[in-house]
Amino acid sequence: MSEIRNRNKNKSKSKPSTLIEEEFVEKLPTTQTRNFSLWNIWVASTILKVLLFDTYHSTDFDVHRNWLAITNKLPIKDWYIESTSQWTLDYPPIFAYFEWILSQFVPQVVKDDGCLDIVVKGEYGLPTIVFQRSSVIITEILLFAVLQTYINLSSNKTFPFIVASSIVLSPGLLIVDHIHFQYNGMLFGLLIAIIVSSIHGKNYLLAFLFAILLCFKHIFLYLAPAIFVYLLRSEVLDVSQSNLIKFIHWGKLLKLGGIVLTVFIISFAPFIYYNVIPNVLTRLFPFSRGLTHAYWAPNVWAIYSFLDKFLTLSLQFPYFNTLISKFFHFTPLIEIIQERLNLLENTGTRGLVQDVSFVILPDITPKITFLLTLFYDILSILPILLQPNFKRFVGGLTLNAYASFLFGWHVHEKAIMLIIFPFTFLVNERRLLNCFLVLVGSGYVSLFPLLPNQNLIKGLYTFIWFIIYSLSFMEVSKQKTSTRNRIFLFDRVALIYLIGLIPMVLFVFFLNIFKDKFEILQKFEFLSLMIYSVYCGIGVISSWIGLSWLYFFDDSIWLDDNEAE
Amino acid sequence: MVIKPHYKPGSDPSLVFYGSAIYDFLSPFRKAQNQWAARYIVVIFSIIIRSAIGFGAYSGANTPPLYGDFEAQRHWIEITLHLPLKDWYWYDLQYWGLDYPPLTAYHSLLLGKLGNLMNPAWFELDSSRGNESIDLKSFMRFTVILSEVLIYIPAVFRFTRWNGKQIKQQPIDQTIVALAILFQPSLMLIDHGHFQYNSVMLGFTLLSIVHLLYDNYMLASIFFVLSLGFKQMSLHYSPIIFFYLLGRCIDFQTPSSSGATLISRINFLRLMLIGISTIVTFIVLFAPLIIFGDFQNFLQSIYRIFPFQRGIFEDKVANFWCFSNIFIKYRTFLSQEKLQLYSLILTLTGFLPAGILILINPKKSLLPWALAACAMSFFLFSFQVHEKTILIPLLPISLLYSTKNNDIIAMISWINNIALFSLWPLLKKDGLALQYGASFLLSNWLMGNLSFLTPNFLPKFLTPGPSISLVSEKNKKRHGLPSNWFWDLVILSSYIGIGTIHILDFYIIPPSRYPDIWVLANISLSFGCFGLFWLWIYYKLFTLRKVTY
Repeated sequence: MSEIRNRNKNKSKSKPSTLIEEEFVEKLPTTQTRNFSLWNIWVASTILKVLLFDTYHSTDFDVHRNWLAITNKLPIKDWYIESTSQWTLDYPPIFAYFEWILSQFVPQVVKDDGCLDIVVKGEYGLPTIVFQRSSVIITEILLFAVLQTYINLSSNKTFPFIVASSIVLSPGLLIVDHIHFQYNGMLFGLLIAIIVSSIHGKNYLLAFLFAILLCFKHIFLYLAPAIFVYLLRSEVLDVSQSNLIKFIHWGKLLKLGGIVLTVFIISFAPFIYYNVIPNVLTRLFPFSRGLTHAYWAPNVWAIYSFLDKFLTLSLQFPYFNTLISKFFHFTPLIEIIQERLNLLENTGTRGLVQDVSFVILPDITPKITFLLTLFYDILSILPILLQPNFKRFVGGLTLNAYASFLFGWHVHEKAIMLIIFPFTFLVNERRLLNCFLVLVGSGYVSLFPLLPNQNLIKGLYTFIWFIIYSLSFMEVSKQKTSTRNRIFLFDRVALIYLIGLIPMVLFVFFLNIFKDKFEILQKFEFLSLMIYSVYCGIGVISSWIGLSWLYFFDDSIWLDDNEAE
Repeated sequence: MVIKPHYKPGSDPSLVFYGSAIYDFLSPFRKAQNQWAARYIVVIFSIIIRSAIGFGAYSGANTPPLYGDFEAQRHWIEITLHLPLKDWYWYDLQYWGLDYPPLTAYHSLLLGKLGNLMNPAWFELDSSRGNESIDLKSFMRFTVILSEVLIYIPAVFRFTRWNGKQIKQQPIDQTIVALAILFQPSLMLIDHGHFQYNSVMLGFTLLSIVHLLYDNYMLASIFFVLSLGFKQMSLHYSPIIFFYLLGRCIDFQTPSSSGATLISRINFLRLMLIGISTIVTFIVLFAPLIIFGDFQNFLQSIYRIFPFQRGIFEDKVANFWCFSNIFIKYRTFLSQEKLQLYSLILTLTGFLPAGILILINPKKSLLPWALAACAMSFFLFSFQVHEKTILIPLLPISLLYSTKNNDIIAMISWINNIALFSLWPLLKKDGLALQYGASFLLSNWLMGNLSFLTPNFLPKFLTPGPSISLVSEKNKKRHGLPSNWFWDLVILSSYIGIGTIHILDFYIIPPSRYPDIWVLANISLSFGCFGLFWLWIYYKLFTLRKVTY
């Protein structure tokens, strides 16, 4: 970290502690530069993940096991039609092929264990668990490889190394992939490959990878606007031309379109051939789901639902009702509220409810969520059109992910990583650091309710990850403009918010612990989830506001490093 | 990026764990103002690994009617919580009757109070027997971690800091040594996998050692009595603690020509204070048994703690008796009493040299060596040893990680691996094979013992060894072998033996005539290694006796 040290030296106000450090570092025996290899990290984290093999896993485990069975046992035309289990195949074709390939490696012991049985509810033991868990670890190597390539291709390796290690050690991946069970590591490896290829201007590779990624998991469609506009602006459009025909590089457009279409056609070809495309599409885009997921993801709708709950409860008090109706003449009467409550036996907080209805506030339709998402998507890609550089591109990706997460329909809290990972590439800028820290703090903590019984490990792992990386990013993030541009108040509030996460988590923890002892607490079962999603929702939303502000109103930090010099 | 080397090649590097994975991970925090972060990272990382191991099975899971150590500990919580003190050592002795000293019982009571806050059903008298709910398991696992964090881990840090200062180690190195001690796989697996509270007993002992280092003799004796009061097994340390304290009270260093008589050499005040604090702590620990019960109750507790009627060894253990029993069936021609006598004589001859040496040279740096020699003698020769007893010598042995000598580190790492291997039959029975393999890899990887493995099959860009720490080419790879050819030979052949036994154990079902053949192979190999190591400790103890501190 010689750069850091040099910068510390140059700082006008050097603290006495840096002196000690310099003396100390000088003594270090060295003739070598650093390697910045992720190898040690991979080994250590893999051992931890192996130790977590036999802990809790969610129904997603059975989902993927069922997909292994379907792709292995059935002809390709039945993959998207099979529905013995409720866990039908609802990922795009390449993921199905991936499962098929994986199923070819299932050893006999695991087969005997029931791994490849098409049944309503999977019955399996340790062999299946070991097989599937190992497959997650092995496919995650892609993420390590991509990030190692990213480090190796960078000239100044300190910041890339911190970015890379923060992603591979992310508590999100540990919680969602290695305990809850999913294959995000591999998919985010592809996403990061897209980001890395944009650094090096490999736009055709970028298009190709993105098409593949979409055929793996269609949630990445949310990132499409930024990627589309970036490719369009940096590859296809030629702004220096005044001639409208020459304004577009038709050849490049055809090439890019060709690449994307070819990937799509090849991956969907068998289903086109068997004429089951409608089945595939209904599986991929199930519109029958509710506004909020079983757990509320910490987004705008969580706050909205909470507000509705709060108003429903509080407006039933006569005094409060009359008070409020003095200011808002459309406040419903108590009788009307109770009537509506009787009508709606199921409300948003009941969890696994498909339709969410609100008592006081107007209902939200898919159309509204779609329009809101679209609006913010368009807003966030406009700067890319003007300034198609790497930082704008990654900023646009992040804001796309934010828009879909905050306003989308039926959002999973796991999608938070879609925001965090691109954002990580931007935080070599001190002013973005605070937004980032608030985002990762609230985002990773919001994943805690996914795991019922691993309090110590998820809490401590996230805590120590946060400490390590807030220190590291603090050291490498630089401040270009003078400090007066920083909003100090926001810094302080952010710090208080982040520290507040700890009592919040502990409070919910004790709420759950004393559930067995005090009957009354069982009535408030929804309360713990609500606290999580509202508190984390505030964090995610404010980090979004902070990032958006800087993205739209502060041009200085969005110049590429070489442009700035 | 290239920093001019201020380091003269050939001189002794100050950092022994250079090039290891631990050093690599912690080197970004080597700055003085980030030391706190490094320490917290070590503590939290070790808690994470412990709780990850805790997700595995425990001893006696799903095996009614008696279950195993987990149920024993839970049962003790149950009886201490619900029964009056006078019944603790009498209640249903057939079903895991309490047979540890009173501090264990008080500790159980405390945990019971805590658990009762959450769910009284966990420790309901009688009806909770065999309760194996997931919440209970989490709670019990948590109590082990909590006890360890409160007692053992701070003691480890205090020790490494004190010793690190003596040998002029960098602060980051002291943290690394602490991590090496904390990641000793055997203790992690027995406490957090198999389920026991050994770290409490070891922690009290270590606190006692730390206070000996700081010359707080009264505190040291109090903590040592607490350790004895938690588990009688720490008696294995007592000769050394006794001789060291005695050596500190009697001055053997002044040459006899000066005419000082024995009486004038004795520091009576110190001796008295040590005696008083020891006796008072014992009284405080055992008094409730008499106050709330009667004298008979006290005798019963002693009788429960020292059950002499049991056999000379339990199960198969890598000590002298069990090993030689393969060839000579002692029980056919020797009575129980005779055996006990012989084992007493052997144990005494085993630890007395170390005791006398520490009495004459009560040097602080010799303490771990002497404790290791003494505890190892107990393990090898005393009666009623079981395989978990190896944790007792392993504590002082692991403390020896706090050194600048690479050979010593190599030896300690080796014996830690052998000890882990000697626990394999037990861990296999518990269903902890995965945890066994993982913690073996983890501890060795972290300490850089496996870094010789990496270069041959990995592409260049993944270059092995340290990735972010700045390390000279010479120190990039710490080879895990000492510089002596004899030990190289022993260590390599023992590893080959371990590998062979594991492969045989995995693939070949033992012949019906010898169902325990792989276990016997295991204990024979472990016994051989332990014996050689014990001799090495004695050799080092005698060569080091003239040290300065």
